[in-house]
Amino acid sequence: MYSSDYLINFLGIASMATIVSLVIALLAKMERLKQVDNLKKSLDEMDEQAKLIVRTDMELNKTQEELDKKIAGLYALQRLSRAISTTLEEEQIFQRIEASHLEDLAFEKACTFLWNEREKAFITKMHLGYSEDEIEQIKSATDLEETYLDLIKNEKTISSSSLQDELMLRGQIKGVFKVNSFVISPVLPKEGYRGILFVGTESIDTVIGEGDQELITILANQLGQALENARLFEKTWQAQQDLEKKVEERTQELTRALNELKVVSKRKTDFISSVSHELRTPLTSIKGYASILLTGKLGKIPPEIQERLDKINRHSDELVHLVNDLLDIAHIESGRLIMKKEVLDLKNIIEEVLDLLSMQLKEKQIDFSLRISEDANIIFADRSQIQRVFINIISNAIKFTSVKGKITISSHKSNKTMQIGVADTGCGIPEEMQEAIFEEFYRVDNLINQEVKGTGLGLALVKRIIEAHNGRIWVESKLNTGSTFSFTLPQST
Amino acid sequence: MRERKKILKTISALSEIAALFRIFSAISMKMAGEMAIKIGMGLSTKRDSLKGTQEAVREARLNLQSQKIDLAVVFSSLDFAHVTVFRTINNLLGPVPLIGCSSLAIISNQGIFKHGLAIMLLSFSADIYFSTACVKEISVKPIADAGRELGEKLLYGFRGIRRDLSMIFSDGLISDGSSFITGLQEKLGMSFPLAGASASDNLAFKRTYLYFNEEVLSDAACGVLWGGKLNFGLGIKHGWKPLGKPHRVTKSTGNIVYEIDNAPAVNMYKEYLAYDLAKLRQELKHVSIFYPIGIYLAGEDEYLLRNILLIQDNGSLIFQGNVPQDSRIRLMIGTKESCLTATSQALNEAKDALLGRQLGCVFIFDSVSRYMLLGRQAKKELEIIKENLDKDTPIIGLYTYGEQAPLKALNYQGRTYFHNQTITILGIGG
Repeated sequence: MYSSDYLINFLGIASMATIVSLVIALLAKMERLKQVDNLKKSLDEMDEQAKLIVRTDMELNKTQEELDKKIAGLYALQRLSRAISTTLEEEQIFQRIEASHLEDLAFEKACTFLWNEREKAFITKMHLGYSEDEIEQIKSATDLEETYLDLIKNEKTISSSSLQDELMLRGQIKGVFKVNSFVISPVLPKEGYRGILFVGTESIDTVIGEGDQELITILANQLGQALENARLFEKTWQAQQDLEKKVEERTQELTRALNELKVVSKRKTDFISSVSHELRTPLTSIKGYASILLTGKLGKIPPEIQERLDKINRHSDELVHLVNDLLDIAHIESGRLIMKKEVLDLKNIIEEVLDLLSMQLKEKQIDFSLRISEDANIIFADRSQIQRVFINIISNAIKFTSVKGKITISSHKSNKTMQIGVADTGCGIPEEMQEAIFEEFYRVDNLINQEVKGTGLGLALVKRIIEAHNGRIWVESKLNTGSTFSFTLPQST
Repeated sequence: MRERKKILKTISALSEIAALFRIFSAISMKMAGEMAIKIGMGLSTKRDSLKGTQEAVREARLNLQSQKIDLAVVFSSLDFAHVTVFRTINNLLGPVPLIGCSSLAIISNQGIFKHGLAIMLLSFSADIYFSTACVKEISVKPIADAGRELGEKLLYGFRGIRRDLSMIFSDGLISDGSSFITGLQEKLGMSFPLAGASASDNLAFKRTYLYFNEEVLSDAACGVLWGGKLNFGLGIKHGWKPLGKPHRVTKSTGNIVYEIDNAPAVNMYKEYLAYDLAKLRQELKHVSIFYPIGIYLAGEDEYLLRNILLIQDNGSLIFQGNVPQDSRIRLMIGTKESCLTATSQALNEAKDALLGRQLGCVFIFDSVSRYMLLGRQAKKELEIIKENLDKDTPIIGLYTYGEQAPLKALNYQGRTYFHNQTITILGIGG
């Protein structure tokens, strides 16, 4: 009995224990289930986060891609602009657009047509990604279509995206150009033919955005600008070329005339020179014989003959003088007379000349004054020739100045040269004759000249001498008031 | 018992002697300045394909310091993929075995070029053997059979010679690249090292080209099998990281996945991206590249990636490469940075496998997905590779629609897989 009680008790305890342990195990399992549940929950949460990440990442990637595309496009545009703006030849502009530029803009086909108004047809200027046959077909299709001309007229860019509402037109353009996406933009130079730039791609994935349309519009504008520049340049160049040609022709004509003149002038000089030589010999004999006769060694001469002989003597002197002047002019012109230049005191020279002319000055009671400053006194010239210059000019001044007139000689420095002026209060020279007086045998037609003899060679000789010194001579004169003869001479260095 | 010990001792002594001999011969070869392999690289980016070809071939011949040309490898952009180009090469080089394929862009020491042709001429020492082969009209036969056919052709004449490595190029538009590899492996050996690239076009996915001798082929594959004493190192990495919770492929055959977590496969993408079917189809190219699925492989550092090729109306997804039923998969996410890290990892793996031997040349099979993801930074990837190589190591590479290379985990015994989105770097010892 006891034992059975024990057994029952034992069984009871055992079952209790089992129940307790079962409960514990159950609790533990529930705890684990809870943990698993929690884990699953956090995994799901993590997955939700993953979704957020993926969506954000997708957006980011797409933005990045667009950005990359834009940057690449801008780079390509920059390269293209540089390529087309660095040439001024119209054909070169189009040749410089390369397939690689287009590729960077994400297109593989392109062409440019310019409208020839007279022929009523497009001219193909450039094509990429099309064969010759294909481009010919496209051109003949576009010639008939007003759409493209309207683009030029309205200065409007269209693209496969901008034509969303005009499916007919879009389909037609796609068909003609054999592309899936495209942009067409007008090329509008201010000068000459205008046209269109077409770019397109066969790719189905390409979506033309506003950015693409803008880029192509900019490109078309630059193309227009480049064309305009090229055409303007061409025009300017042509004009310049014409001008150059004309100048060349004129120069040749002038050179020819000058050469002829030189030949004539040389002939003249030679002629004068030889004639003068030939004249001088008999003149010397005439003068010689006349002098001998005058001495009376060959017999006494009656006064009538003496008078005639004096005349012969005087006239032959004048003739010798004339011939000498002529010879000098000829010599200077032919360059055979060399100026022996030396440093000279201007005052000194003038005073020597005045000594020679003092008689005439006194006769006419001329008030003579010399205004030569200290710094304008030294000249670099041939002594005897310069003396001749002064003799000629001053004696002219005396000749044409009336009694109690005034003659002033002045000098001053001007720009590395010396300017010397001889002013008189004489009758003056009419303006129209002021240049001619320096020509050989020219004599102003006035009363004094009719009375006083002259060769008409003095001023011509003076002019030659001054020019042989690299100087210049001119006259300023007013009728009945006076004349000023001015000339320049190199200053002594 | 004692005799056995003796034999063992002799064997170990002999092997030591053999090892010593090997080292000695290696040293003597090095001292003599002889390379087991000579390389001549040529590149042209001319638009005129014939002039370009002539330029590239001339340059390659100049760079190859040998009269003997054994093999030519050519990668080119689509504008070079026509017969005249390869007739020209044949005219210039004579009947040299040639393999290669078309690509979106070509990779070389000089840079990455969207237009051009790169040719690598190889001249081997007498102890290196090789054979080339090609298989045509793949789509008319069971795909695994095509793989077997290529394997058999490659093996022809290779009896009794140690096989080292195979490099193959295949049409990038073959829908089930994995089965092709399986077929090939049945012939060459399951754990036989294989590096492969699927040809690409200009992202139009219209037609890709294979080059075999004078021929330009589509719907084909070609390759080379090396044997003898070729030293090489292979590295393959992608850099994509898993995101979100694990999923299970509950129904699939080959490269078609019908159900994930007992729901139509496409739902997974719809949920993650919050896109409807139309939007998902519109953005498929991006989604596929940026967020592929990763198949978990026990013991591996990285997941095996699969890009979506197509979304079918019944909600199933067709992938580029097979996805076994019951696989554990994750959604993967990649960044430019992780992508570039993977590049240097792959290169280091290839270099490590060569145990410090000098590199003769480097082949790069880089996924077009990476080219798209990296965008303007694609050049940076090449910079990383160049920085870690000797200055004159010739580099030739292409962008692929799929890469094939072995994983190195022990459980997989170096078995080759069909990959997506990776960079495969194959270094051949000099």
